[in-house]
Amino acid sequence: MPHFTTIATTVRDRLYRLALRMVGDDGEAEDVVQEVLISGWQRRQEIEALDNPPAWLLKMTHNRAIDRLRSRKVRTTNERAAAPSDQSDLTPHRLVETADTLGHIHRLMQQLPTDQRSVLQLREVEGLTYQEIAITTGLTVDQVKVYLHRGRSKLRQLLLQENILE
Amino acid sequence: MTHARATALLERYFAGETTLAEERDLQTYFRNPADVPPELASYAPLFAYWDQERQVSAPPRKVTRRLNWQRTLLAVAAALLLLLAVRGTYLWQQPDLTTFPVAERQPVDWSRHEITDERAAIRFLKTVLETTSDKLNEGPTITVRELREVRDILD
Repeated sequence: MPHFTTIATTVRDRLYRLALRMVGDDGEAEDVVQEVLISGWQRRQEIEALDNPPAWLLKMTHNRAIDRLRSRKVRTTNERAAAPSDQSDLTPHRLVETADTLGHIHRLMQQLPTDQRSVLQLREVEGLTYQEIAITTGLTVDQVKVYLHRGRSKLRQLLLQENILE
Repeated sequence: MTHARATALLERYFAGETTLAEERDLQTYFRNPADVPPELASYAPLFAYWDQERQVSAPPRKVTRRLNWQRTLLAVAAALLLLLAVRGTYLWQQPDLTTFPVAERQPVDWSRHEITDERAAIRFLKTVLETTSDKLNEGPTITVRELREVRDILD
Protein backbone atom coordinates (compact mmCIF):
# COMPACT_ATOMS: atom_id res chain seq x y z
CA MET A 1 0.00 0.00 0.00
CA PRO A 2 1.70 3.27 -1.09
CA HIS A 3 2.18 5.96 1.51
CA PHE A 4 0.11 9.13 1.10
CA THR A 5 3.24 11.26 0.61
CA THR A 6 4.30 9.07 -2.31
CA ILE A 7 0.85 9.26 -3.87
CA ALA A 8 0.76 13.05 -3.45
CA THR A 9 4.21 13.47 -5.01
CA THR A 10 3.25 11.30 -7.98
CA VAL A 11 -0.08 12.95 -8.66
CA ARG A 12 0.70 16.58 -7.77
CA ASP A 13 1.45 17.73 -11.33
CA ARG A 14 -1.77 16.15 -12.64
CA LEU A 15 -3.82 17.85 -9.93
CA TYR A 16 -2.18 21.16 -10.72
CA ARG A 17 -2.79 20.84 -14.48
CA LEU A 18 -6.45 20.02 -13.95
CA ALA A 19 -6.94 22.84 -11.46
CA LEU A 20 -5.04 25.29 -13.67
CA ARG A 21 -7.09 24.52 -16.78
CA MET A 22 -10.32 24.72 -14.84
CA VAL A 23 -9.78 27.88 -12.82
CA GLY A 24 -7.43 29.55 -15.33
CA ASP A 25 -5.15 31.09 -12.74
CA ASP A 26 -1.89 29.57 -11.53
CA GLY A 27 -2.11 31.03 -8.02
CA GLU A 28 -5.63 29.74 -7.55
CA ALA A 29 -4.67 26.39 -9.02
CA GLU A 30 -1.87 26.11 -6.45
CA ASP A 31 -4.37 26.93 -3.71
CA VAL A 32 -6.76 24.27 -4.96
CA VAL A 33 -4.01 21.63 -5.00
CA GLN A 34 -2.85 22.69 -1.55
CA GLU A 35 -6.38 22.39 -0.16
CA VAL A 36 -6.86 18.99 -1.76
CA LEU A 37 -3.58 17.65 -0.42
CA ILE A 38 -4.26 18.96 3.08
CA SER A 39 -7.72 17.44 3.01
CA GLY A 40 -6.22 14.22 1.68
CA TRP A 41 -3.58 14.18 4.40
CA GLN A 42 -6.29 14.41 7.04
CA ARG A 43 -7.92 11.32 5.51
CA ARG A 44 -4.70 9.63 4.45
CA GLN A 45 -5.42 6.23 5.96
CA GLU A 46 -8.73 6.06 4.13
CA ILE A 47 -7.13 7.19 0.86
CA GLU A 48 -4.18 4.82 1.10
CA ALA A 49 -6.63 1.94 1.33
CA LEU A 50 -8.43 2.93 -1.90
CA ASP A 51 -7.94 1.03 -5.16
CA ASN A 52 -7.21 4.21 -7.08
CA PRO A 53 -6.04 7.03 -4.77
CA PRO A 54 -5.06 9.38 -7.64
CA ALA A 55 -8.64 9.22 -8.96
CA TRP A 56 -9.95 10.32 -5.58
CA LEU A 57 -7.50 13.23 -5.46
CA LEU A 58 -8.40 14.24 -9.02
CA LYS A 59 -12.07 14.14 -8.07
CA MET A 60 -11.40 16.37 -5.06
CA THR A 61 -9.44 18.76 -7.28
CA HIS A 62 -12.25 18.85 -9.82
CA ASN A 63 -14.84 19.56 -7.13
CA ARG A 64 -12.77 22.28 -5.49
CA ALA A 65 -12.10 23.91 -8.85
CA ILE A 66 -15.84 23.87 -9.59
CA ASP A 67 -16.47 25.51 -6.20
CA ARG A 68 -13.98 28.22 -7.08
CA LEU A 69 -15.57 28.81 -10.46
CA ARG A 70 -19.00 29.06 -8.91
CA SER A 71 -17.73 31.61 -6.44
CA ARG A 72 -16.52 33.87 -9.22
CA LYS A 73 -18.67 33.54 -12.31
CA VAL A 74 -17.60 36.99 -13.39
CA ARG A 75 -14.16 35.68 -14.27
CA THR A 76 -15.48 33.23 -16.88
CA THR A 77 -17.57 35.97 -18.41
CA ASN A 78 -14.50 38.17 -18.66
CA GLU A 79 -12.42 35.43 -20.24
CA ARG A 80 -15.08 34.74 -22.86
CA ALA A 81 -15.43 38.41 -23.57
CA ALA A 82 -11.69 38.76 -24.00
CA ALA A 83 -11.27 35.74 -26.27
CA PRO A 84 -12.79 37.14 -29.51
CA SER A 85 -10.07 39.80 -29.57
CA ASP A 86 -7.70 37.02 -30.63
CA GLN A 87 -9.14 37.10 -34.13
CA SER A 88 -6.33 37.83 -36.51
CA ASP A 89 -5.77 38.46 -40.18
CA LEU A 90 -3.00 35.92 -40.40
CA THR A 91 -3.33 33.21 -43.03
CA PRO A 92 -3.73 29.64 -41.76
CA HIS A 93 -0.28 28.73 -42.96
CA ARG A 94 1.21 31.69 -41.16
CA LEU A 95 -0.72 30.82 -38.00
CA VAL A 96 0.62 27.28 -37.99
CA GLU A 97 4.13 28.59 -38.33
CA THR A 98 3.70 31.06 -35.53
CA ALA A 99 4.79 30.03 -32.09
CA ASP A 100 1.70 31.80 -30.79
CA THR A 101 -0.62 29.21 -32.33
CA LEU A 102 -0.52 27.05 -29.23
CA GLY A 103 -1.39 30.07 -27.11
CA HIS A 104 -4.24 30.76 -29.52
CA ILE A 105 -5.57 27.21 -29.12
CA HIS A 106 -5.28 27.63 -25.38
CA ARG A 107 -7.46 30.72 -25.48
CA LEU A 108 -9.99 28.89 -27.65
CA MET A 109 -10.07 26.11 -25.07
CA GLN A 110 -11.14 28.68 -22.51
CA GLN A 111 -14.26 29.30 -24.56
CA LEU A 112 -15.49 25.77 -23.96
CA PRO A 113 -17.94 25.21 -21.11
CA THR A 114 -16.25 24.06 -17.89
CA ASP A 115 -17.55 20.47 -18.07
CA GLN A 116 -16.37 19.97 -21.64
CA ARG A 117 -13.04 21.59 -20.86
CA SER A 118 -12.36 19.41 -17.81
CA VAL A 119 -13.37 16.23 -19.64
CA LEU A 120 -11.10 17.14 -22.56
CA GLN A 121 -8.26 17.95 -20.17
CA LEU A 122 -8.60 14.63 -18.36
CA ARG A 123 -8.77 12.66 -21.61
CA GLU A 124 -6.24 14.44 -23.83
CA VAL A 125 -3.69 15.49 -21.25
CA GLU A 126 -4.03 12.99 -18.44
CA GLY A 127 -5.01 10.05 -20.65
CA LEU A 128 -7.79 8.83 -18.37
CA THR A 129 -10.38 6.24 -19.41
CA TYR A 130 -14.06 7.13 -19.60
CA GLN A 131 -14.60 5.34 -16.31
CA GLU A 132 -11.81 7.29 -14.57
CA ILE A 133 -13.12 10.57 -15.96
CA ALA A 134 -16.59 9.66 -14.70
CA ILE A 135 -15.20 9.01 -11.20
CA THR A 136 -13.27 12.26 -11.24
CA THR A 137 -16.03 14.50 -12.50
CA GLY A 138 -19.02 12.79 -10.95
CA LEU A 139 -20.60 12.39 -14.40
CA THR A 140 -21.86 9.11 -15.81
CA VAL A 141 -19.76 7.33 -18.45
CA ASP A 142 -22.34 8.21 -21.10
CA GLN A 143 -22.23 11.87 -20.10
CA VAL A 144 -18.43 11.77 -20.31
CA LYS A 145 -18.65 10.45 -23.88
CA VAL A 146 -21.15 13.14 -24.82
CA TYR A 147 -19.06 15.94 -23.28
CA LEU A 148 -15.93 14.63 -24.96
CA HIS A 149 -17.63 14.51 -28.33
CA ARG A 150 -19.14 17.96 -27.88
CA GLY A 151 -15.88 19.38 -26.58
CA ARG A 152 -13.82 18.10 -29.50
CA SER A 153 -16.46 19.14 -32.03
CA LYS A 154 -16.69 22.61 -30.54
CA LEU A 155 -12.93 22.94 -30.47
CA ARG A 156 -12.70 21.84 -34.10
CA GLN A 157 -15.37 24.38 -35.03
CA LEU A 158 -13.46 27.14 -33.23
CA LEU A 159 -10.18 26.10 -34.88
CA LEU A 160 -11.87 26.26 -38.28
CA GLN A 161 -13.35 29.67 -37.50
CA GLU A 162 -9.93 30.92 -36.51
CA ASN A 163 -8.39 29.43 -39.67
CA ILE A 164 -6.07 27.23 -37.65
CA LEU A 165 -7.72 24.18 -39.23
CA GLU A 166 -8.33 24.03 -42.93
CA MET B 1 0.37 5.18 -40.10
CA THR B 2 -1.09 5.66 -43.55
CA HIS B 3 -2.78 8.82 -44.71
CA ALA B 4 -6.12 7.03 -45.03
CA ARG B 5 -5.93 5.60 -41.52
CA ALA B 6 -4.95 8.98 -40.07
CA THR B 7 -7.89 10.64 -41.82
CA ALA B 8 -10.31 7.97 -40.59
CA LEU B 9 -8.95 8.17 -37.06
CA LEU B 10 -9.29 11.94 -37.05
CA GLU B 11 -12.97 11.67 -38.00
CA ARG B 12 -13.55 9.15 -35.22
CA TYR B 13 -11.49 11.29 -32.84
CA PHE B 14 -13.72 14.33 -33.29
CA ALA B 15 -16.77 12.09 -33.00
CA GLY B 16 -15.44 10.95 -29.63
CA GLU B 17 -15.18 7.32 -30.75
CA THR B 18 -11.45 6.65 -30.56
CA THR B 19 -9.81 4.51 -27.90
CA LEU B 20 -6.92 5.74 -25.78
CA ALA B 21 -4.52 3.62 -27.85
CA GLU B 22 -5.79 5.16 -31.11
CA GLU B 23 -5.47 8.63 -29.64
CA ARG B 24 -1.87 7.85 -28.69
CA ASP B 25 -1.27 6.73 -32.28
CA LEU B 26 -2.61 10.03 -33.58
CA GLN B 27 -0.46 11.90 -31.09
CA THR B 28 2.64 10.07 -32.26
CA TYR B 29 1.70 10.55 -35.91
CA PHE B 30 1.39 14.32 -35.63
CA ARG B 31 4.66 14.63 -33.72
CA ASN B 32 6.57 14.03 -36.95
CA PRO B 33 5.54 16.83 -39.34
CA ALA B 34 7.65 15.32 -42.13
CA ASP B 35 5.33 12.28 -42.24
CA VAL B 36 2.12 14.32 -42.25
CA PRO B 37 0.63 15.17 -45.68
CA PRO B 38 -0.22 18.86 -46.28
CA GLU B 39 -3.98 18.29 -46.09
CA LEU B 40 -3.65 17.04 -42.50
CA ALA B 41 -0.81 19.35 -41.42
CA SER B 42 -3.18 21.89 -39.93
CA TYR B 43 -4.16 19.36 -37.23
CA ALA B 44 -0.58 19.17 -35.96
CA PRO B 45 -0.81 22.27 -33.69
CA LEU B 46 -3.80 20.80 -31.86
CA PHE B 47 -1.86 17.67 -30.96
CA ALA B 48 1.21 19.78 -30.20
CA TYR B 49 -0.98 21.73 -27.81
CA TRP B 50 -1.93 18.55 -25.91
CA ASP B 51 1.77 17.66 -25.78
CA GLN B 52 2.55 21.07 -24.38
CA GLU B 53 -0.19 20.75 -21.77
CA ARG B 54 1.31 17.48 -20.56
CA GLN B 55 4.54 19.32 -19.84
CA VAL B 56 2.88 21.70 -17.38
CA SER B 57 4.03 20.93 -13.88
CA ALA B 58 3.21 22.33 -10.49
CA PRO B 59 5.60 25.01 -9.23
CA PRO B 60 8.04 23.84 -6.59
CA ARG B 61 6.56 23.67 -3.15
CA LYS B 62 7.31 26.57 -0.89
CA VAL B 63 9.35 25.16 1.92
CA THR B 64 8.11 26.61 5.18
CA ARG B 65 10.71 26.01 7.80
CA ARG B 66 8.66 25.04 10.79
CA LEU B 67 10.37 25.07 14.15
CA ASN B 68 11.07 21.54 15.21
CA TRP B 69 10.96 21.68 18.98
CA GLN B 70 12.63 18.36 19.53
CA ARG B 71 15.49 19.29 17.26
CA THR B 72 15.79 22.76 18.82
CA LEU B 73 15.90 21.33 22.32
CA LEU B 74 18.48 18.81 21.24
CA ALA B 75 20.62 21.60 19.76
CA VAL B 76 20.39 23.67 22.96
CA ALA B 77 21.27 20.64 25.07
CA ALA B 78 24.22 19.87 22.82
CA ALA B 79 25.44 23.48 23.08
CA LEU B 80 25.18 23.40 26.88
CA LEU B 81 27.01 20.09 27.01
CA LEU B 82 29.77 21.52 24.85
CA LEU B 83 30.08 24.57 27.12
CA LEU B 84 30.26 22.37 30.20
CA ALA B 85 32.85 20.16 28.56
CA VAL B 86 35.03 23.16 27.63
CA ARG B 87 34.67 24.62 31.09
CA GLY B 88 35.46 21.27 32.72
CA THR B 89 38.57 20.85 30.63
CA TYR B 90 39.69 24.36 31.51
CA LEU B 91 39.19 23.82 35.25
CA TRP B 92 40.84 20.44 35.12
CA GLN B 93 43.95 22.01 33.68
CA GLN B 94 44.08 24.71 36.37
CA PRO B 95 45.92 24.10 39.73
CA ASP B 96 43.77 23.85 42.86
CA LEU B 97 42.91 27.16 44.44
CA THR B 98 44.15 27.65 48.04
CA THR B 99 43.58 30.24 50.74
CA PHE B 100 46.70 32.17 49.67
CA PRO B 101 46.94 31.58 45.96
CA VAL B 102 49.25 34.52 45.24
CA ALA B 103 51.59 33.77 48.13
CA GLU B 104 51.75 30.15 47.16
CA ARG B 105 52.29 30.92 43.56
CA GLN B 106 55.16 33.34 44.50
CA PRO B 107 56.45 32.22 47.91
CA VAL B 108 58.46 34.79 49.87
CA ASP B 109 62.01 33.90 50.68
CA TRP B 110 61.96 34.90 54.33
CA SER B 111 65.62 34.02 54.81
CA ARG B 112 66.48 37.17 52.94
CA HIS B 113 64.78 39.27 55.66
CA GLU B 114 66.23 37.44 58.68
CA ILE B 115 67.99 39.75 61.13
CA THR B 116 71.42 38.46 61.84
CA ASP B 117 72.87 41.51 63.62
CA GLU B 118 72.31 41.40 67.42
CA ARG B 119 71.87 45.19 67.80
CA ALA B 120 69.47 45.41 64.98
CA ALA B 121 67.52 42.51 66.51
CA ILE B 122 67.26 44.30 69.87
CA ARG B 123 66.19 47.51 68.16
CA PHE B 124 63.57 45.66 66.19
CA LEU B 125 62.31 43.87 69.28
CA LYS B 126 62.15 47.17 71.20
CA THR B 127 60.08 48.75 68.44
CA VAL B 128 57.69 45.83 68.39
CA LEU B 129 57.25 45.92 72.16
CA GLU B 130 56.67 49.69 72.19
CA THR B 131 54.06 49.40 69.46
CA THR B 132 52.36 46.56 71.28
CA SER B 133 52.40 48.56 74.54
CA ASP B 134 50.83 51.56 72.78
CA LYS B 135 48.11 49.43 71.28
CA LEU B 136 47.46 47.74 74.61
CA ASN B 137 47.07 51.10 76.36
CA GLU B 138 44.83 52.45 73.70
CA GLY B 139 41.86 50.33 74.78
CA PRO B 140 41.72 51.34 78.43
CA THR B 141 42.32 55.01 77.51
CA ILE B 142 39.31 54.97 75.21
CA THR B 143 37.22 53.17 77.84
CA VAL B 144 38.12 55.68 80.54
CA ARG B 145 37.33 58.61 78.22
CA GLU B 146 33.95 57.22 77.29
CA LEU B 147 33.09 56.47 80.95
CA ARG B 148 33.82 60.10 81.81
CA GLU B 149 31.50 61.25 79.01
CA VAL B 150 28.73 59.01 80.35
CA ARG B 151 29.24 60.33 83.86
CA ASP B 152 29.04 63.97 82.56
CA ILE B 153 25.78 63.18 80.80
CA LEU B 154 24.32 61.57 83.92
CA ASP B 155 25.35 64.46 86.16
